[in-house]
Amino acid sequence: MLEVKNLRCSYGTNQVLKDINFRVDKGEVIAIVGSSGSGKTTLLRSISFLHKADGGTIRFFDFEKEITRLKSAEIRQLRMRLGYVFQNFNLFRNMTVRQNVMEGLVTARHMDKEEARKITDEVLKKVDMLGRAEYYPDQLSGGQQQRAAIARSIAFRPDVLLLDEPTSSLDPELTREVLNILTRLAAEGITMVVVTHEMEFARNVADRVIFMEGGVVVEDAPAAEFFNRPRQEAAKRFLRTVTGDFG
Amino acid sequence: MSERLWEILISSLPNLLLYCVKVTIPLTACIYALSLVLAFLLALVQVLNIRVLNRAARIYVWLFRGTPLIVQMYIIFFGLPSVGITLDAFPSAVIAFSLNYAAYMSETIRASIQAVPEGQTEAGYMIGLNYFQIMTRIVLPQAAKIAFPTLFGSLIGLTKDSSLAASITVVEMFKAAQQIAAKTFEPMALYCEVALIYLLLNTVLTSLQRYLEKRLSWRQPAVD
Ligand SMILES: Nc1ncnc2c1ncn2[C@@H]1O[C@H](COP(=O)(O)OP(=O)(O)OP(=O)(O)O)[C@@H](O)[C@H]1O
Ligand SMILES: [Mg+2]
Repeated sequence: MLEVKNLRCSYGTNQVLKDINFRVDKGEVIAIVGSSGSGKTTLLRSISFLHKADGGTIRFFDFEKEITRLKSAEIRQLRMRLGYVFQNFNLFRNMTVRQNVMEGLVTARHMDKEEARKITDEVLKKVDMLGRAEYYPDQLSGGQQQRAAIARSIAFRPDVLLLDEPTSSLDPELTREVLNILTRLAAEGITMVVVTHEMEFARNVADRVIFMEGGVVVEDAPAAEFFNRPRQEAAKRFLRTVTGDFG
Repeated sequence: MSERLWEILISSLPNLLLYCVKVTIPLTACIYALSLVLAFLLALVQVLNIRVLNRAARIYVWLFRGTPLIVQMYIIFFGLPSVGITLDAFPSAVIAFSLNYAAYMSETIRASIQAVPEGQTEAGYMIGLNYFQIMTRIVLPQAAKIAFPTLFGSLIGLTKDSSLAASITVVEMFKAAQQIAAKTFEPMALYCEVALIYLLLNTVLTSLQRYLEKRLSWRQPAVD
C-alpha cells in the first residue's frame, strides 16, 4: 500500500537518512525502533512531507512518484490519506477536543456538520474522551491530550496512521492509557507505523519491526523473529540495552 | 482651596469632557483603527515573506520607529505644504500617529504570529488543511490572543499620546485645558484636572482589558 524506495534526507550537510527502503501493507502494524538520533522521526516527517527529502520514490497504492517532484496539490492529496500523531500532541490550543476532531472533517473535507459530529462522537468514545469533548487542550492531562490527538487523526479514516513516539512524553500510567487505545486500534485493523521505545508494545502488537541505526534500516523482520532471533549484531546490542539485559 | 479655584475647576469640567468626547476619543479611535489595519498588513507581508513587500515593510518599520513621533507630525503638518500638500490639523495628526503606531504594532503582531508553535501548523497540514485555513483558523486566532495585552497597551498609550496633537494645533482635551489655563491663570489646577480625566479614561480601558482577556481565554471552568 505504502512503499518508500531509496529515501535520502539531510539537515544541511548532515545526511540523516541514507537510502531507506520499506513497505507497509494494509492492516499491518509496524514498529520502528532504534536508538536516539538514528533517524526515526526524520523518516516519519519526510514521508509526511514535513521535512523535505533529498531524493527517493514514494508509492501510495498505484500512485508513484519521485518524492522531490511532488506538486503541492499532490502532497495535500497524500496527506489527506495519512494520519499523524505527534510526540507532543499538537492539539489546536484554540479549539476544544471536539472542534479539534471536527476540523479535519468539516474544514478540510467539507463534510456535513451533523455527520461530522456523529463521527467525532464515535471516535472520541473509542479513545474514552467523549466525556471531555468540550475541554480545551490546556485543561487536559498529557495522556488525555494524546488520546484526543489520536481521535483527531483517525476521524477521517486515513489509510495509514503514523505515530512518532506517542507515549514518550507521558508518565508510565498515562502511557498505559494510550498504549491500550493503540492496541485496540490495531485489533480493529487500522494500518499503523509507530516509532516507539516501548518494546513490550512492539513485541505484542506489531506485526513487523524495523530497526534503524545511523540513518539506515538495519533489520526489517516479523516482530517475533526480531525479538527472539535478531540477525544483525547491532540489533542484538540494541535489544540488550533496551531490555536492560547485559548478560 | 479657594472658592474661585473650585469654581474654575467645576465650570471647566463640562468643557473638558466635551473635548474629550468630541475630539480626544474620536482621534484615538481613528488612529487606532487605521494603525491596526496597517500593522496587520505590515506583519502579514513579513510572515508570508512576500519578497519585495517584506523588504519594504522592514524599511518602513525601521524608518517610523527610528524617528520621533512629534517630528513626523511636524513634517506632515508644517512640512508637506511646502511641496504642495496641505492638510488640516486633525487629519495630519491621524496620519502621523497611524503611520507611527502601525510600525510598533506590526512588530507586536509579527512576533505574536511567529510565537505560535510550528507544531500547530504541522498538525494543521496533517489533518488536510491548506495554508490559508491554517492561518485563519489556527495561527491567527492564537496570535491574536498572544498579541492582545500588548496591543491593548498601545491603545492606552495612544489615549495619552493623543495630547501631542496639540502641538500641531489640534484642539483636543489637553489643548482645551491649555486655553482655559491661559485665560484663568490657573495652570496647576487645570493641568491636574485634565490629568485626572486621562487617568479616569484609562482606568475604564484597563477594566475593559481585564474583561476582554477573560472572554478571550480558552479555558472554561472545569465541568466536573
Ligand atoms: N531540526 C534538526 N536540525 C538539524 N539536525 C537535526 C534536526 N532534527 C534532527 N536532526 C539530526 O538528525 C538525526 C536524526 O534525528 P531524528 O530526530 O530523526 O532521530 P530519532 O531517531 O527520532 O531520535 P529520538 O529517538 O531521540 O527521537 C540526529 O542526528 C539529529 O541530530
Ligand atoms: Mg524522534
